[in-house]
Amino acid sequence: MSLKQDVDHPILKVSNLSWSTSSNKILSDISFQVPLGSFTGMLGPNGAGKSTLLRCLYRYLTPESGQVLLNGQDISSLSNYAFARKVAVVLQHTPQHFDLSVFDVVALGLIPHKSMFSNNSQADLNLIKTAIAQVGLSDKTGRDFETLSGGEKQRVMIARAIVQRPQLLLMDEPTSHLDVKYQIQIMELAKSLGITVIASFHDINLASALCDQLLILKQGRLHTSGTPENVITETTLTDVFDVCSMVSAHPQHQSPHVTYFYGYNSDNDNSSDHDTNNIEPAEHTKDDE
Amino acid sequence: MKSSWLLSLVLSVLVVSFISALTIGAADLTFNQVLLSLFGNVDEAGTVAHSIIWQLRMPRSILAFVAGCGLAMAGLILQTITRNPLADPYLFGISSGASFGVVIVMTLTGVGFGFYLSFAAFLGSLLAIGLLLLIAGFNRHQQVESMLLAGVALSFLFSSFTSLMLYWSDPQAVSAILFWTLGSFSRAQWDLLWLPCLVVVSCLGLMLAKQRQLNAVLLGDEGAVTLGVNVNRLRITMLLLSSILTASIVALCGGIGFVGLMIPHIVRFFIGQGGRLSLIITALVGGVFMLWVDIASRVILDNQELPIGIITAAVGSLFFLTLLYVRKHESVI
Repeated sequence: MSLKQDVDHPILKVSNLSWSTSSNKILSDISFQVPLGSFTGMLGPNGAGKSTLLRCLYRYLTPESGQVLLNGQDISSLSNYAFARKVAVVLQHTPQHFDLSVFDVVALGLIPHKSMFSNNSQADLNLIKTAIAQVGLSDKTGRDFETLSGGEKQRVMIARAIVQRPQLLLMDEPTSHLDVKYQIQIMELAKSLGITVIASFHDINLASALCDQLLILKQGRLHTSGTPENVITETTLTDVFDVCSMVSAHPQHQSPHVTYFYGYNSDNDNSSDHDTNNIEPAEHTKDDE
Repeated sequence: MKSSWLLSLVLSVLVVSFISALTIGAADLTFNQVLLSLFGNVDEAGTVAHSIIWQLRMPRSILAFVAGCGLAMAGLILQTITRNPLADPYLFGISSGASFGVVIVMTLTGVGFGFYLSFAAFLGSLLAIGLLLLIAGFNRHQQVESMLLAGVALSFLFSSFTSLMLYWSDPQAVSAILFWTLGSFSRAQWDLLWLPCLVVVSCLGLMLAKQRQLNAVLLGDEGAVTLGVNVNRLRITMLLLSSILTASIVALCGGIGFVGLMIPHIVRFFIGQGGRLSLIITALVGGVFMLWVDIASRVILDNQELPIGIITAAVGSLFFLTLLYVRKHESVI
């Protein structure tokens, strides 16, 4: 857990980023910095723009305005492969249609490093093997990716990212459909890589426990940002997530820990929408386990 | 290593199949005659045997092999870039475009074979793929979905044109066209072989060069983009590649269905789709399969050739159904 962060030299600097569809403004005027070596979490209700913001950061979408600097260099000025050598991405869900083995999927991480006809060298093979070992799947190297559990699949995708040797790892809700154990495992694994990570979270307590800095989005705007201690407050949770809660210090690591209150249907429920009712109780169950 | 062992197995099956294709046929030749004619003394083999082998069976078998390779590769490309297990040249209207071209030339000029027919087939399939790209190719989001739907629609459109032309033609032309659409290697000639050979070899080279990128596309467009792959460009290049492959084969051999769909699945079933090796083996297995289909087409009926398309569809679908049954059975256990 001892990561050296360099606040004076941000690896990523986002300024005044906006993006919209033909009819809707999805992101407006977002600015933040990510220190080198830090673990940054992104929180916000569904539709707040977390995925869209990440997509702008990994160049799947082109920002309408604003600038994204990676090590001081505008990301739009890099070639596809040059960018992929610096930034790796783990998505929420990886579709799989034909049988690629775990090895094949991890080997995809070599793409930005390889020219057209080049074969995998011994060094590449070692890199792939080490990465698979690092995520604890050595015994499943030859298995079909499709036959793995959700948690194992995400570990394979992290191994692929390791092989990609990036400076920055972006993760779009990589744990949202996994069991609690794997939610913790995947995120701790990402943190253990020692590179800068930006990940969006569904679980506020998990984000609070692991992140150095949090970005809280609401309706396409950056509502608050800062350390978990500064950001996770009862007021913010009410403002952004529309829930009543109590914030206390976690007994193990002292980071803010959220306990939710219930009973939205019985009293004044004008302010609470469907989403809140569906999601938050589920999260509370996790905390109890 | 396991992989080199596998490759040498497939290659030896290929050699056996090829020599069988030269030996078996309407005229009885012995294995010895074939070997002598290939590697030794022409006089000992007999001049008739020599010309049967070199003028008839050799170009025919090469065409069959190349057609099998090419169609299997085209199927693999289309299945990969659309991530759809049902994709093959038929689904995209490439084959029906070719038939349309042939039918137009046959009904308008009465010509039943030759270079013009091949050229018409080539133009027809390029027309189909051109329309497909125009409609669906440049729409970045849901590119795959719109491509599949547009392909199916184009396929029906061309079929209806073809049927309309057939409706107006005389019975003789209709049977000539029917024969053409069922496929045959009897038109194989040395001087026309270079085109499909060249196309198949260069396409295989390109596929090998882009093999990593093709694998990346299997895990979704967004994932592939994050690895630096220009998915749109790759997809359009590969679509063009598979249509050129199909067009150059259909132009010479007529419509041969099911090979492009089936062979990639069979190879995938046994060795997966990960490496470059599986790409090469897919092409080789397609070629070997077609050699045996051609042999069957020559020997099943006395003094008559059975159209290729009938055999590929019958054998292919039965084999395929068996494979699916076995797989389902295995996954239950």
